[in-house]
Amino acid sequence: MKQVVLSRAALVSPLGDGIDTLWQQLVAGQTAIAPFERFATANYISAYAACIKGLVAKGGESLMVAMLERVAQQMGPVPADCRLLVATTKGEIDRLETRSRAGLPPTSADLPEAFIRRVAQRFNLPSGGVNINAACASSTIAVARGAAMIAAGQASAVLVYAADIVSEFVFSGFSALQALSPERCRPFDQQRSGLNLGEAGVALLLLDEERAQREEAPVLARLAGWGAANDAHHVTAPARDGCGLILACRQAFDSAGISAEEVCAINAHGTGTLYNDAMELTAFGSLFDGNIPPLHGIKGSVGHCLGAAGAVEVAVAARALTEQLLPPTVGCRNPEVAGFNRIGEKQQCLNGNYLLCCNSGFGGINGALILQRVVS
Amino acid sequence: MMGWITGVGWVAAAGCGRGRTAEAAPQWNDTMVIPARKDLFEKADLRFGRLDGFSRTGLAGITMCLRDADREAWQDKRAIATMALTTGGCLQTDLDYLATVVEGDGKLASPNLFAYTLPNCFLGEAALRFGLTGNSLILQQDGGAELDVLGRALEELAWSNYAGVMVGFCEVPVTGLPCPSSGYGSLFVLIEGTPEPPTGSYGKITLEDNQIFFNDNPLASFRHLLDACLTALKCRD
Repeated sequence: MKQVVLSRAALVSPLGDGIDTLWQQLVAGQTAIAPFERFATANYISAYAACIKGLVAKGGESLMVAMLERVAQQMGPVPADCRLLVATTKGEIDRLETRSRAGLPPTSADLPEAFIRRVAQRFNLPSGGVNINAACASSTIAVARGAAMIAAGQASAVLVYAADIVSEFVFSGFSALQALSPERCRPFDQQRSGLNLGEAGVALLLLDEERAQREEAPVLARLAGWGAANDAHHVTAPARDGCGLILACRQAFDSAGISAEEVCAINAHGTGTLYNDAMELTAFGSLFDGNIPPLHGIKGSVGHCLGAAGAVEVAVAARALTEQLLPPTVGCRNPEVAGFNRIGEKQQCLNGNYLLCCNSGFGGINGALILQRVVS
Repeated sequence: MMGWITGVGWVAAAGCGRGRTAEAAPQWNDTMVIPARKDLFEKADLRFGRLDGFSRTGLAGITMCLRDADREAWQDKRAIATMALTTGGCLQTDLDYLATVVEGDGKLASPNLFAYTLPNCFLGEAALRFGLTGNSLILQQDGGAELDVLGRALEELAWSNYAGVMVGFCEVPVTGLPCPSSGYGSLFVLIEGTPEPPTGSYGKITLEDNQIFFNDNPLASFRHLLDACLTALKCRD
């Protein structure tokens, strides 16, 4: 099996463009969640979301196009032989909304394959890309899939492009499901009352480690393990015992060849909904035999970026390992008992080499990644 | 990479079917009827009634496939993954949901329809009904052959400890869009690591040099695979 590294990461997030800016804002405990004006929210249960500043759609295009351009400019050229994995849950949904409101039927441009082609063209890659749709675990699963391809020698470079936007389509749906927080969300807090939506565009370049060394490419972290599992419990609600997440994490530990004790920190999904956060703490309690390592979540800062959530969190997790520092979990003022002294609004210093990153989504899917610190 | 096809199920123009009870190969074209509960299950089923058309079509294909492999009944959850290729996905459900948003400026947005505006939700429905704990994902591709998804399923089987991977396609009509090349409906095959189910297997499926083979013969499409499976069954009988 070949070793897989995360070589480069480019992103646009509600807290700024680029991992350096995002990291500084996260460490400073900032949040981008605020009332917004993209569409009217008077008929919804929340007026809060985390939107990217200056993201403007050009005549009839989707915001996803402007986002892609900003990410691609930041990323620069990628190897021409990259395999492309896209991870978006709703793609250019704002374009479909606009057409639908105008009474126009969808066109082939509204199909996911059109967005995959757009991403491939922007990064000068050949067609043949694939979108992985696994709800809010989409980019986690895409990174896992890309890593597996490299580990098996099927590719030596994989570009994962993950993106989703704050749209009225999704906002209204989460509002109808009573899942939105009417205030800034509070992941893992005893008083949490739901999630806030966010948006992000992220490009992650995965490389075969030997290739990275040969080409003197940067290395942000090693992707040491991965796993995916379904709760087989409910379509929209997580299994309360965390069975699917436990399975996915155990697969990730096994493929990384490590024991749970070697994990020094967790980047949790932490949506701020009652059931998700409780499920995660239950799963972590089981996985770590009650001795949960320091954990955090960034959705109190950037909102829930849907299919892009995992990719943003991988970029942040790699930086956390390098800096040996876990940013605060904004909004977690009074942590759940199971997370007491392990999560909160303060930074936490780390001392270790492996970080667990996980996400869960509708359809009962769970994805887990193990990132390993690479000391140059 | 290799596996054994142990079950085949579908929703085609003439309705639901499965390999071991089929009298002839089904046809997929630009017509289909979304499956009803009675096409699949004997007892009343509230949850089935809530599913959107895309989910019903996908779930029906999976149900028929598991039934064909004699894997429908279960006691302990099983490490079986599900992967589905789609072009249009749940776009019609998106449009139906959007209509509820537009109608009342958001006040009438349907939570039930919204729950099915992610195309992977029917895989979750299948997972909970049949205790399937493997990875579950929807694949949408730009170009490439439809059989690429079979290669990805064989990779998933080889790179994991799953007992099997259920893989196929699912398409339903979308207002304003042409019929995809596969036709409307769904087709799923269950690929297992060993040919051990009570019903035995249809044959061996392999991935070599990016080419899919069934019983050592190259395949060109899902329909080709289905024909080969049904022929293998007849030859054995």
